[in-house]
Amino acid sequence: MNKLKDEELIEELRIRMKEKTDALNELKTLNEKLKVVNKKLEESEAMKTHFISNITNEIVNPFASILGLSKNILSVNKENWKKVFSMVAMIHTEAFSLDFQLKNVFATAKIEAGEIYPEIGKVDIKNLVKSVTDSFRIEAQKKKVSFELVFDFPESEGSTFQFKTDPEKLKLILSNIVNNALKYSFKDSKITVTVWSEMRVMFISVFNHGEVISDEYKQLIFDRFERIDSNITSVNRGHGLGLSIISSLLDLLGGTISLQSDKETGTTFTIEIPEFSEEEDSFKSSLNGNEIFFEDNQVF
Amino acid sequence: MTQMTEPGTHFLYPSTLFACREPYIVNTILGSCVAVCLYDTVWKFGGINHYMLPFWNGQGLASPKFGNIAINKLLEKMLVLGSNQKNIIAKVFGGGNILEGSTSQFMIGDRNVAVARDMLMELKIQIVSQSVGGTLGRKIQFNIATGEVKQRMIDKQPVANGNTEIVIHNLDKYNLFVK
Repeated sequence: MNKLKDEELIEELRIRMKEKTDALNELKTLNEKLKVVNKKLEESEAMKTHFISNITNEIVNPFASILGLSKNILSVNKENWKKVFSMVAMIHTEAFSLDFQLKNVFATAKIEAGEIYPEIGKVDIKNLVKSVTDSFRIEAQKKKVSFELVFDFPESEGSTFQFKTDPEKLKLILSNIVNNALKYSFKDSKITVTVWSEMRVMFISVFNHGEVISDEYKQLIFDRFERIDSNITSVNRGHGLGLSIISSLLDLLGGTISLQSDKETGTTFTIEIPEFSEEEDSFKSSLNGNEIFFEDNQVF
Repeated sequence: MTQMTEPGTHFLYPSTLFACREPYIVNTILGSCVAVCLYDTVWKFGGINHYMLPFWNGQGLASPKFGNIAINKLLEKMLVLGSNQKNIIAKVFGGGNILEGSTSQFMIGDRNVAVARDMLMELKIQIVSQSVGGTLGRKIQFNIATGEVKQRMIDKQPVANGNTEIVIHNLDKYNLFVK
């Protein structure tokens, strides 16, 4: 073996030293990342606990109202029958919110169990958007918020715009966006829902005047159980699942969501959903039981 | 007793999983995603997942979109269906690095595969075969009743509208088996 010169020895030491420093630095970065993730998981766990007490209220309160109100109706005298209208309206509101909460909870359970699949059909988008905003009409009237619907489809589409997607999931996505918009709208304001399409991609934007969502919150709000005002005295009900459900459902439909918020213009959530592709569909079905697609030497 | 001759078919979407004791043929398409197939060698049934990212970092729902959740949930389901963990074997597919210009830090495919290897080792579940990595996508067909997996390499390229365009390749040109 040759004897190493001093310079070579120093050079070698320097290289090794550098390698070690690099490794150490990498470890430091990884550690930092781990700390962040750890903190997130801790927060998530805490919110889960909060969520359970929260959701109990969300389910128990409407039920108590419905039971109480229907009992009252039963004991209303004939001469006071007009009172029944307002009570029925209240029952409807409570039942509607209960139904909406449960749909979200079940969707979450399905998503987290990995048992949610797109069920594709031809959807009349105009109709769907109208039915979603209509379902929030009573709630909106309470806050004196009005809806404005803008449909901007290519001429060729005619009055009905048909789009291949999953109607139920799209409904839930839109309901959650509209629900949020309504919740955080100022009184006497307007929510504008705009629908347009470009190259087999559909866009739906929901615009409202309300409190500005700060940049720091823009990322956070997509986390589960996270709410802008999650303190106990919050006037807004909800479980904080909405936006994380939206994200997961959009994943399933191949769509995305974006958010713009500033003082002058208000807050706009825009979703973008590609039309379910025929090719993918036929590719899938032709594979079912079609052995020609596979080669003998690719069996595991 | 009538023997079921035609097994059902199921298309496995990303972020979902499927396991059952009835005979089923499960199809799925993988790019950088990974599918872990678990098979119970005693009860002769299996399950499969399809995850997109290695770890859940607390963002969004804790769904089987993430490897660490997808593998645990699939195993959980197998155990609920009556498996004994000792009798389960695994096959791992996917994890191609199909996105162009990806640097080593963003090699999602490799990281997805690593999660499967690490977790299965920790769970003491043997990986009996695998086909992972490379630059192509995979179309796989898992037979729940026999545990057999058929594979075809594909070029899966995302096109502008968010859909995927699938090109079937001549297999002779590619041989990405990992022994």
